[in-house]
Amino acid sequence: MPPPESVVPSPAMATPQPASPAIPLTVSLGRLRLPNPIMVASGTFGYGREMSGFVDLARLGGVVPKTITPLPRPGNTPWRTVETAAGLLNSIGLDNDGIDSFLARQLPFLVRCGAPVIVSIAGGSQADFVALASRLDGVPGIAALELNISCPNVSHGIDMGTDPVACRGVVEGVRSVTALPILAKLTPNVTSIVEIARAAKDGGADAVTLINTCQGMAVDWRRRRPLLGNVIGGLSGPAIKPIALRCVHQVRQAVDIPIVGVGGIMTIDDCMEFFVTGASAVQIGTANFAEPIASARLLDGLPAALAELGATGMADVIGTLAVPQRAPCPPATPPSGSSPHAT
Amino acid sequence: MSAGTSSTVGEQPAGQPCYADAASYSPARIVAHTKIADNTWRLRLDCPAIASTAIPGQFAMVRIPHRSDPLLARPLAVYDTFADASGEAGEAPLRRYADFIYAVHGRFTTALREVPVGHELIAWGPLGNGFQIPAVEHLVLVAGGIGQTALLGLGRERLGQAAYGPASRLQPPRSGRVTCCWGARHAGLFGGIEDYRSAGIDVHQATLDGSAGLRGTVVDLLDSLFDQPGAVPPAAHTRRLHIACCGPDPMMAAVARWAAARQISCDVSLEAPMACGIGICFTCVARVRDDSGSWDYRRTCIEGPVFDATRIEW
Repeated sequence: MPPPESVVPSPAMATPQPASPAIPLTVSLGRLRLPNPIMVASGTFGYGREMSGFVDLARLGGVVPKTITPLPRPGNTPWRTVETAAGLLNSIGLDNDGIDSFLARQLPFLVRCGAPVIVSIAGGSQADFVALASRLDGVPGIAALELNISCPNVSHGIDMGTDPVACRGVVEGVRSVTALPILAKLTPNVTSIVEIARAAKDGGADAVTLINTCQGMAVDWRRRRPLLGNVIGGLSGPAIKPIALRCVHQVRQAVDIPIVGVGGIMTIDDCMEFFVTGASAVQIGTANFAEPIASARLLDGLPAALAELGATGMADVIGTLAVPQRAPCPPATPPSGSSPHAT
Repeated sequence: MSAGTSSTVGEQPAGQPCYADAASYSPARIVAHTKIADNTWRLRLDCPAIASTAIPGQFAMVRIPHRSDPLLARPLAVYDTFADASGEAGEAPLRRYADFIYAVHGRFTTALREVPVGHELIAWGPLGNGFQIPAVEHLVLVAGGIGQTALLGLGRERLGQAAYGPASRLQPPRSGRVTCCWGARHAGLFGGIEDYRSAGIDVHQATLDGSAGLRGTVVDLLDSLFDQPGAVPPAAHTRRLHIACCGPDPMMAAVARWAAARQISCDVSLEAPMACGIGICFTCVARVRDDSGSWDYRRTCIEGPVFDATRIEW
């Protein structure tokens, strides 16, 4: 094996396809500018090193490594994932070696790979998030921070993602200690995701990442036991794409903030659906498990899909959904003898 | 790194991840797909990059393409490799077919059973560290259930019957013995037992219902073979025996305890559920002890699946 820091080409690596020069793929998420809108989602790409035999990381719009916390966390008791119908239920529990190990062992490789690195952070309190952001501010090679205030598998994270006041507080706290662009990754497990997205914007987020996993559960009825060691987990994969699209749509219509769409993206059609609905970029998640070269394949397919819409850039596509005006319900009228449905 | 230079695969220092840098990702056509025992199927794939480089104990992720249900691939141990679709072994670098054996027990294997010869699957591998070649006189393969799939190659290699992987792994044939202790619930579940016998491996069976071999578990079988009066005295086991074990966790834990009590070295190939097989999902963790004795969850896909049994916190 090569030393861990080396970038190794591999026969398995997808053949780079030059993007069509006619269609620039760059996108902006607030102050964060990405070379293209195909990112990979936190928790589904390891720390990048694991994937370097399958994907040329330098091609990606952005790499979000697995979420880091202030201290090492062992993670949850197995089983940690269960496949469900067109989906994957997980409760990993933010298994990670902590920020010190990340900075020493993981980040240098990622930075050398050349893709924008968006570091995902999580903590049990606002103070944890602020401390992490403070440590990462000024570290060379970090393009932005993604605040994981939505992990369903650790108790505090989801609280900050479900309470607008707590959400705004976390974002403001991080904003106060770093000039790095901030993405707030939100949970769909709320009554109004618009309210939370607005709080993130008010706190100073550059963009919101929509969505983290949907809470779910799987059961072995014969043994009368839950399948996940943590009982409840988060559902990802194609099964949740409609939920993610709905969240992107609702936030796009109500809050003026760039959106990163994530949830069940497997095909270039899925990507385009998110762009048209209002996402400026997308993150590939569970597809990385099912097909390690998925992100590279989707990037290869993007120019042709844009050309199909006659687009000259991502701006011609993002948020161009034609939303029909929903007519108010007609007032009740007295029964008419001429109606075939009259009773 | 090219696939042919992964000379240290299978020789990773403990705790060093075995990244999938040399893995191939490609379609793999099914060239044979047959039932070999109750609920047990043998799958032969045309996958040269895997077949020509895999060593015993490594695995591949196999997926049914163009489906979102089942969505994910599953890890399948590389059972054996061949140069010819009919089953001629040939030289390792020329091999292009790999056999996998699976038991039907869930949504993936139920769907896989229905995919006919001629259709393509997707496979990526070889993955994981694989077994090191033990230097002892007597290699004991201990299999539980479907665990034999990870062990045949190691036995064939040890007896000089086959070579796998890079040239640096090639071993001259040595004198010595390979014994297989294989436990299953009943006599109908020993898929591939003729492969073990034809390789010259001394096979002993145990079944819980007594329908084949000893009635009992593989530990009962180990007791009967090695702890009987007149058998090799326990003190001599330490130097002469090495156990390579694969099966359900409780069975491997019992074998590990048996080996530890007799100071016999023992490697286990863990059968943890996996979602990705390449270290990105953190599903397949096992509790692995470091030198200080404290344990942490380690990814069995890239730090295993083969571990020194004394490192596992069962």
